Amino acid sequence: MQSYWFGDVRGDEYIPFTGSTGENAQRIMESHTGMDRYVPVEWTRVRDQGIVRDREDYLDKLREICFFIAEYKIAQHYRGRDIELLQMVRMLDEMDEVINLLTERAVDWYRVQNPKFTRKYRSLSGKKALVIMKKSEIGAFRMIIVEIERMASARTSLMYEVSARADQILPNCSALIGGLVAARLLSRAGGLLHLASLPASSIQVIGAKTALFSHIRSGTPPPKHGIIFQHRRVHNASKERRGRVARVLAAKLAIAARIDYYRQEADPEFIQKAQDAIERAGVVQ
Amino acid sequence: MIWIDRVLVSKGEPGVYGEKTLQGFRVWDPYRSKLSALYYLGKGVELEKEMKVLYLGAANGTTVSHVADYTGCVYAVEFAPRPMQDLLAVAKRRKNVIPIMADATRPETYAPFLEEVDLVYQDVASPEQAQIAIRNSIFLKKQGILIVVLKTRSIDVTRQPEDVLADVRQEFGDAGLVVDTMTWILPYHRDHAALVCRKM
Repeated sequence: MQSYWFGDVRGDEYIPFTGSTGENAQRIMESHTGMDRYVPVEWTRVRDQGIVRDREDYLDKLREICFFIAEYKIAQHYRGRDIELLQMVRMLDEMDEVINLLTERAVDWYRVQNPKFTRKYRSLSGKKALVIMKKSEIGAFRMIIVEIERMASARTSLMYEVSARADQILPNCSALIGGLVAARLLSRAGGLLHLASLPASSIQVIGAKTALFSHIRSGTPPPKHGIIFQHRRVHNASKERRGRVARVLAAKLAIAARIDYYRQEADPEFIQKAQDAIERAGVVQ
Repeated sequence: MIWIDRVLVSKGEPGVYGEKTLQGFRVWDPYRSKLSALYYLGKGVELEKEMKVLYLGAANGTTVSHVADYTGCVYAVEFAPRPMQDLLAVAKRRKNVIPIMADATRPETYAPFLEEVDLVYQDVASPEQAQIAIRNSIFLKKQGILIVVLKTRSIDVTRQPEDVLADVRQEFGDAGLVVDTMTWILPYHRDHAALVCRKM
């Protein structure tokens, strides 16, 4: 017997499926076609069996079921809990870039308006600089500064949102490395399933693509860490210890990601043990 | 194929992706579509009204829309959800496009929808490109045409493109596919070769 979109074919017998479109979609998605015995269907025979009226009707009915399945699969994909988080992190990182870029440009412009302006010796963060620049006399300039500030505050609330969402979706990874960095790992890996399938050694160097390929191509020293460098225990570790901390952290993250994917809940015992192991890696004996 | 002053066009409802029109025909840009590039290089295969086409790697449906303008029906296979959303929008207004959300490496998952086709066009960037073509040739009728756009870098970046192509030719031969022509689709697309094959 062979299953086709309109029903089953057994020898010369055509048995149309009579259920709803949804049930038919389910039936087709669950059917297993053995390709060694497979023969493409001849639409004229489907017509001769009275299942469709003509070519147009054949295509109409076929398209109906294909649309149904595609729309169903797309909806399924977007329902994945990690998909929205992925977009949120990417938006966050791009907003950072945009805000920095615009602030830099605004500072350069402000220097022209006010030649004595400098950021030296006054620990003038981007934020504080914006406050000063708002005193400019050029209306358009002031409006731009206000826009940058607004974007910065939107960025801050997005950051909290990302962090909170990561705590839910990646409870174990977030416990080890913080929600934000965990979310960034997820974004680079391309999803929770992908992150959970990565070996620890890959997680260790996610985000160090340039260094990794220069190592593979021309034998420069291999990168010790990628994104996980952003975690304090890696960048605060002494230079000799950093590689080791990164390695242990990545190993534990690989396990954490798998717990996150398969069990979808925090495992306090695992987290405690992992924290201890990472702590030990940073200690100089 | 319809040419107006050496510009390849197709006849159908315009405005699919912001393409230009020429005397009411839709301009088919060789820089945006690898299949169009193949026609510009004189190595394309005439598309005809009664043809059934299997299109693997349909993406956003831009090239699909042109193929659909020329042919009887197009089975458009795409795996990724995002381009699929666009492809569905194209297919909604072109009644001869059958959108299939499936993985081209697994023909068994969409075999129930297909019939025998006259032409298989494949444009997927995957290390398994050659294998995908061979597996899908089951849907192709005898003497049917298979056009495969090979991104040689997708197969193995460390090897010379010519060596990769020679291997593919061998693999196709073993599977009963004879390579008629092989064209680098320069200057329109870099690192891409188009193989026009025939099923024996």
